[in-house]
Amino acid sequence: MAAEERRVPWVIKYRPKRIADVVNQDDAKSKFVSWLKSWPNVRKRAALLYGPPGCGKTSLVEAAANELGYDVLEMNASDFRRASDIERIAMRAARASTLFGRKRGRIILLDEVDGISGREDAGGLEALLRLIRVAENPVVMTANDPWNPNLRPLRDVSELIEFKRLSKRDVIKVLKRICTAEKIECENDALNFIAERAEGDLRGAINDLEALAEGFGRVTLEHARALLRPRDREHNPFETLRNIFMAKYGWQAKMALSQSQLDYEQAKLWIHENLPHQYSDPEDLWRAYEALSKADVYLGRIVRSGDWDLLAYAIDLMTAGVAMAAQNNPRDKYRWTKYNFPQKLLLMARTRKARAIRDDLASIVASHLHISTAVAKNEVIPLLKTIFTANPKYAARLVLGLSLSEKMVEYLAGPNKSLVMRYVEELKRLKEEQAKVSRAAAATAAEGAKEVGAAAASGAKVREGVDRSAKKRRQRRGGDLLSYLSKK
Amino acid sequence: MSSAATAFEEILWAEKYRPRSLKDMVNQEEIVSRLMKFVKERNMPHLLFAGPPGTGKTTAALALSYDLYGDEWRKYVLELNASDERGISVIRTKVKEFARSKLPGHIPFKIVLLDEADNMTADAQQALRRLMEMYAENTRFILIANYPSKIIEPIQSRCAVFRFTPLRKEDVIARLKWICSQENCEYEEDALEVIYEISGGDMRRAINILQAAAALGKVTVSSVYKVVGLAHPREVREIIRLALMGKFIEAREKLRNLMVNYGLSGTDILKQMHREIFSADLPLPEELRVLIADYIGEVQFRVVEGADDEIQLSALLARLALLGKRYNLKL
Repeated sequence: MAAEERRVPWVIKYRPKRIADVVNQDDAKSKFVSWLKSWPNVRKRAALLYGPPGCGKTSLVEAAANELGYDVLEMNASDFRRASDIERIAMRAARASTLFGRKRGRIILLDEVDGISGREDAGGLEALLRLIRVAENPVVMTANDPWNPNLRPLRDVSELIEFKRLSKRDVIKVLKRICTAEKIECENDALNFIAERAEGDLRGAINDLEALAEGFGRVTLEHARALLRPRDREHNPFETLRNIFMAKYGWQAKMALSQSQLDYEQAKLWIHENLPHQYSDPEDLWRAYEALSKADVYLGRIVRSGDWDLLAYAIDLMTAGVAMAAQNNPRDKYRWTKYNFPQKLLLMARTRKARAIRDDLASIVASHLHISTAVAKNEVIPLLKTIFTANPKYAARLVLGLSLSEKMVEYLAGPNKSLVMRYVEELKRLKEEQAKVSRAAAATAAEGAKEVGAAAASGAKVREGVDRSAKKRRQRRGGDLLSYLSKK
Repeated sequence: MSSAATAFEEILWAEKYRPRSLKDMVNQEEIVSRLMKFVKERNMPHLLFAGPPGTGKTTAALALSYDLYGDEWRKYVLELNASDERGISVIRTKVKEFARSKLPGHIPFKIVLLDEADNMTADAQQALRRLMEMYAENTRFILIANYPSKIIEPIQSRCAVFRFTPLRKEDVIARLKWICSQENCEYEEDALEVIYEISGGDMRRAINILQAAAALGKVTVSSVYKVVGLAHPREVREIIRLALMGKFIEAREKLRNLMVNYGLSGTDILKQMHREIFSADLPLPEELRVLIADYIGEVQFRVVEGADDEIQLSALLARLALLGKRYNLKL
């Protein structure tokens, strides 16, 4: 038993120690090593290694660190959700290396940065960018899909290093080496089968091999087929989508979801996002959306009724229902498609602040007009936007009358914001002056007051309103006083 | 409008020119005179004000409160909006808290003003009915609703029901003119007619549009159109057009923008789409308008039942794309 406990998984045991041990990827190796060696005298302060899972991205970083004498501080991007986590951990690491006068440098390795943008957290990305700007160590990131639009800010500051999908031959070569080292008897057909299934994912293949060897002591095709049929690796969103769309039978589409990293709520959004990219025929697209829409109705009913039995139907519709929709253009199912992250989540994250401001604004308007916030958003705020872009002077008076914040002005006026705010300041100043004058007037008592009254009565702008609230009277007096002052 | 010459502060005209007292109200004469009687007797039953938006329901309720309590009316009136309160339990807590405090001798009762009451589910209305009974001794409820038929029978039977009728065109326009004279703003007669048409007789909406148009300068037909065009209808129409032309992805992008940036709910957008479908600005075969209206109805049902507005509305767009292809539309 003790020996068992000490056993390390093969993926770690056979991890490459030297750069040369990393399988294939010669271009990536030379590009990365020269970047690392010249750091910090580099064009881009960070490196983004990208490529399919299990092709050697992390391995190369570790091998290079080992060979060139760096420590690796590894973090998984999916480990931290908040900006503060990134800052706390990574900043400390960056500082520590100089603080203790270490000879060895340190690489900050952030794995799977595409996980960061999938979260509803824009702050994480910002913190990462800041880290790259200030870090005193090379920052290396890995990603599966670097072209994800949300990674653009990272792409801009990173040296992009591409890793190619490993060939079946590459994978078999490594598996054979491990079999020899472990003294495992194995059939070539079995290795072929494992490598085929791995689709270039060496890490997955080694794990499969280990599982077989551990279970049976030797590796045969028969065992491989028996043990490996239901894939035990969780599929990433991209694979999940591909498997759902490509499914020929309903059960395949359902299995694709059950083997996914995505839960059904996430899967719903991923499918929604990518449906129109996969299906080109309008009727197919409509059929697929019908299925997804009904799945969503079932999910809504589950929330309301608590009846989880309904989940099965929701899943049938969003997987099999979507997969079987391509009837006019069945070839669309197999078309290669670049899948996107659900834009809705990203948009929500990016606009969270603006939405909070809009909601606050809506409650001010709602209580002012005795209406609901929905009516305020629908009817009044669009009109306010018009006023704020067309007439900044008038808008400034509304800002004071409704006590709107500067952020709200920004939301309403857009690029006109500073103009509106300048008028607001001007009005405040005039109001202050008026207050001074009326204090002085109060001191000189009745006479002064009469004078102001006379000026007011003669002013053409004096109007009679039904509303005789104190506030309005104050306003009107203010206006008359203004014209009075300007005449002087 | 010469804004520099007037005051430092401005508020929304819909509030600025809201009649404060019942005697200032010029419409709904029948209703107003009955409400004045309540003020005089300092007693009243629970009230249900029903009628289309912008016909004076809220104004009448606030004016009644003002006439009963004077300047400190806010102390004795609890204003709630059923669409903004999260569920009946929140309403219950607030009402309980409000009803508990003692009444000064000269105050006959307090008022709970519940707006958009027809947005409450039947279950919530049952709970509301119990609340009305529980605190009947020292509070009166004024319920406001667009559709009295959506208020459950037991509540209707406990209330004096007042039906507010749509305002006459000349009344709305006269009011707009009066406001223009108060604000010293110039206007074209035709422009006020257009405002009336766009607002569908909704006084509040008409005044809001007037204020926005006045902010652009003289109120003209084109400034009115500009003001309302800058709001949503044009964008909603564009979404429909893109979808019908088979540009699904672009249509969905615009839809998303409308939902996330403007904060419109799926139901809001569906209602606006429905309005657009029969508009002359969308040249569609008449039977197609009916088909689309039917499907919008179906989708609205699913939005209420479902979990994700965006998916439901995308399904509608996919349907439009299919119909557009079948009818071989060129828009």
